[in-house]
Amino acid sequence: MKLPNLLKMTAAAIVLSASAAHAEVKFGALYPFSGQLALLGEESARGLEIAVDEINAAGGIQGEKVVLVKGDAVDNNQAIGEARRLISLEKVSAIFGTYSSARSIAASQVAELSGIPYFELGAVADEVTSRGLKYMFRTNPYAKDMGEMVVDMVVEKVAPGLGKQPGDLKIGIIYEDSSYGTSVSKHQADFAKEKGLNIVLSSGYPAATVDMSSLVLQLKQAGADVVLQTSYQNDSVLFLQQANEAGYKPAAVIGGGGGYSMQPTADAVGHDVIENVLDVDFTQFLVNTKATPGLEAFVEAYKEKYGIAPRSGHSLNNYVGAKALMESIGKAEGFEPDTIVEAVKAIDIADGQTAAGYGIKFGENGQNERAAMMGMQWQGGKLVAVYPDAAAVSKLNIAN
Amino acid sequence: METFLQVLVSGLMLGALFAIVSVGLTLIFGIVKVVNFAHGEFLMLGMYLVYLFTTKLGIHPLLTSVIVAPLLFVAGVVTQRFIIQPLMSARDDHIQIFATVGLSTALINLALLLFGADIANTPSSGLRTPITFGPVRVLLGQLVILAVSIMLVIGLQAFLKRTQTGRAIRAVAQNRAAAQLMGINVNRIYMLTFGIGAACVGLAASMVAPLYPTSPNIGTYFVLTAFVVVVLGGLGSLTGAFAGAMIIGLIDSFAGFYIGSDVREVVVFGVFLLILILKPSGLFSNRLSLSHVSP
Repeated sequence: MKLPNLLKMTAAAIVLSASAAHAEVKFGALYPFSGQLALLGEESARGLEIAVDEINAAGGIQGEKVVLVKGDAVDNNQAIGEARRLISLEKVSAIFGTYSSARSIAASQVAELSGIPYFELGAVADEVTSRGLKYMFRTNPYAKDMGEMVVDMVVEKVAPGLGKQPGDLKIGIIYEDSSYGTSVSKHQADFAKEKGLNIVLSSGYPAATVDMSSLVLQLKQAGADVVLQTSYQNDSVLFLQQANEAGYKPAAVIGGGGGYSMQPTADAVGHDVIENVLDVDFTQFLVNTKATPGLEAFVEAYKEKYGIAPRSGHSLNNYVGAKALMESIGKAEGFEPDTIVEAVKAIDIADGQTAAGYGIKFGENGQNERAAMMGMQWQGGKLVAVYPDAAAVSKLNIAN
Repeated sequence: METFLQVLVSGLMLGALFAIVSVGLTLIFGIVKVVNFAHGEFLMLGMYLVYLFTTKLGIHPLLTSVIVAPLLFVAGVVTQRFIIQPLMSARDDHIQIFATVGLSTALINLALLLFGADIANTPSSGLRTPITFGPVRVLLGQLVILAVSIMLVIGLQAFLKRTQTGRAIRAVAQNRAAAQLMGINVNRIYMLTFGIGAACVGLAASMVAPLYPTSPNIGTYFVLTAFVVVVLGGLGSLTGAFAGAMIIGLIDSFAGFYIGSDVREVVVFGVFLLILILKPSGLFSNRLSLSHVSP
């Protein structure tokens, strides 16, 4: 009597485990997990991991458990190699990534040739979605959104705050001269001209610079009231410090992402010096949660899983993109590339419905047309959302 | 006129910064004749040590030099003894270059592992205080760098000319084989010189760290300019390197202001190439130069 029972149970267990082994879908997680970009690469990947945890807790995709296979995109060549491995060896159904634009551009070409969907959740260069790829989709806001938001903030907040017409302001645009700074600054200049702003100086500089005093002097001499800087971390610190020490105090400094959003930058520059400096970047955490439903739950899940608070908004934006994509794939039947593409093309999420604030709807080129950045300001040593008004938790301060 | 003066002074301060970083490289390049691509990473290492000593033990950044310079001396001796020396007899000198490139990459990634990619802030302890001379502003820390780099060049020059060890070092630089025949322990001299070169970078780190945030790749910001300075100065001439650093600092500053920050590297390296074409041995190769006779 006992023996047949045991046999039955063993048989049932085998059947269960066998079906469990079949019922999983593999996705690639391609990020720089080591090397120079490891810090924010890993931070980005954590957003994807939390999205997968939530999807699996809710029964997976089409009843199948999601399994992430990591690929380490430590440089462009390895990004290509790892994309190949994920596709042909691991047989992933789609790749999620990548944080770095250059690596995304390289790896997505491999995916395109293999006909595997590639979902970019965090890279900002124009070229990620401007190449006419069929299987490439990007959920996060990109360089153009950043340029637009910076100029909007100048026109709608900075100029009225100073009691001036936007056209009367003197704008100085400075940028690190790799493809990141160059493309964002070009969008800034385009939108600025469209809005009739007066650009008095536009200058690139190498990011690996140890001195920006001559650029500060140029801005001072040109009388720039508003400085727009697109930069990494070292050059953000250097500019803010050297401007302060040269006695140059523009009415507003607006940084574009990179170094401007990070706490160590504020600590390095000094909280008094960075006070009221503005920043446009991905949605961070000190934001009106009415405009970003689900943000608090995300932060809780993050803290529980990793034991610390999120280190930047990269994880949040990756989480939002990944979750929306996976939920849409859950509504389809099967994991064929074209089925997946059809499913994500049908996504239609309104603004104010995601934890990052922006909605999701893909345009013809695979770019999320509703993606938007957010305007923030350093106040009392903390980066708080100040623009647009719906997301603001504090008033935008204009000194002078 | 006021702006001109400010650009001039900024250029001199930048030159002093390049000088203090390049002095050690001049010794290593001019005497051991090793193209040390890990030079910038020695600086990075020194800056992290300064960061640790200031933030954990509360020591003033300038005072950390009495600990950091000896530590870097040891690092230099160890590098010479265990990485460069075994390769000295290799048939091709280029192997040493690859070894230093390897060391450089290894040190950058070690720092990434230990400290992460984020910047580390050494407290400025008053060194960022601006000082005004009429219309011109400089930072206290920049003046310290200028003063220390001048003293360092004078001190090392005296050491090389006046002391027995210094003469031995110059003898090795001029002709390794002949020096060995005269009873000089060449390997010991190389270790000593590499150590002194690295200690100079350690000293530089104590001055530079309070002014620039430290990150694993901070060395790469300096190393290319340091090589330019050393070559311009005539490969192994300390005063030449100092003058070369000042020239590069001034060109950088003036080109940055009067032409534009995006082209200043074009101007700096353009002038550098021009000087090399007109005077291939560098601007200041003279009898004091350490390397006008190859080994």
